[in-house]
Amino acid sequence: MALQKKSRRGNDDGPAPSITTSSPFDQLYRDHVDIMYRFAYRLCGEAEAAKDLVQETFLNAYRAYDRFRGDAQVSTWLYAIASHACLRMRRKRKGEPDRELSLEEFVPTSEGEFALQIPMEGLSPQEALENKELRQILDRAIAKLPRKYRMVLVLRDMEGLSAKEVGGILGLNERAIKSRLHRARLFVRKELSAKGLAGELNRNVHTRLE
Amino acid sequence: MADRVRTYPGTRKPTPHQGHGKRNCVKILERLSAYLDDELSGDICREIRAHLGDCPNCEVFLDSLRHTVQLCQHRPSPSLSAKDRAALRRQILKGAASA
Repeated sequence: MALQKKSRRGNDDGPAPSITTSSPFDQLYRDHVDIMYRFAYRLCGEAEAAKDLVQETFLNAYRAYDRFRGDAQVSTWLYAIASHACLRMRRKRKGEPDRELSLEEFVPTSEGEFALQIPMEGLSPQEALENKELRQILDRAIAKLPRKYRMVLVLRDMEGLSAKEVGGILGLNERAIKSRLHRARLFVRKELSAKGLAGELNRNVHTRLE
Repeated sequence: MADRVRTYPGTRKPTPHQGHGKRNCVKILERLSAYLDDELSGDICREIRAHLGDCPNCEVFLDSLRHTVQLCQHRPSPSLSAKDRAALRRQILKGAASA
């Protein structure tokens, strides 16, 4: 099924092309835009860059829809388009390659590095994440990850895809995905272990419950 | 229960400290994500559990890694507003039409 492609319009300032709400593009967009925005936001860490990535993703999907053979889930296909668009957008902006993470850099060298400085005992992850400062520390740690590691962490641990699915999306074998995921987790763990919170983590929960 | 110490041909002599020497801890660290994701065989899991029971530092490290993964898994992400959703759709269709 091909998407209805509109003819070229001369005036870009005019009203947006109208496609009936039942068109294949609208179906694709309606069903997946929220998932793709969530994914893009997690990769980019801020709203405007995430919107640019979503736009690029659906534009590329629109153009490539004729070649989509349906042997993967539509969402997996869109994740792949978004991942490649993200890498391309990054290359346009900056030229530096991703840093490689080695396991050695994550081996604790002093007693204080084994534990997180954030006491989470007795709290669910959801309760702990009600703390804004913790969310910011976590977001900064993920944002500091080199891109190729961040993609794997986001797809596996945040989007909840399997290693096999992530391998298909990024064109890597499962072993490589698991290796990158482990290094990415160790990187975030190390960042979290180096940070303490200014306030008590559970204070917000008590406040909320009272 | 004694831990099995991995040896590589020609690389090391048997060590008398087989429980949780630093080298052993590093070997455990290498496998902790696979351990958390339940991807290891029963033998290797038992080997890791034996080490963890005997090495408080590795036990604490595993807890911190588990918490890190849980935080990532539960981190909520902002959603797109209806206005932004409609504006993005218009921009995409405009871009598609002008390609």
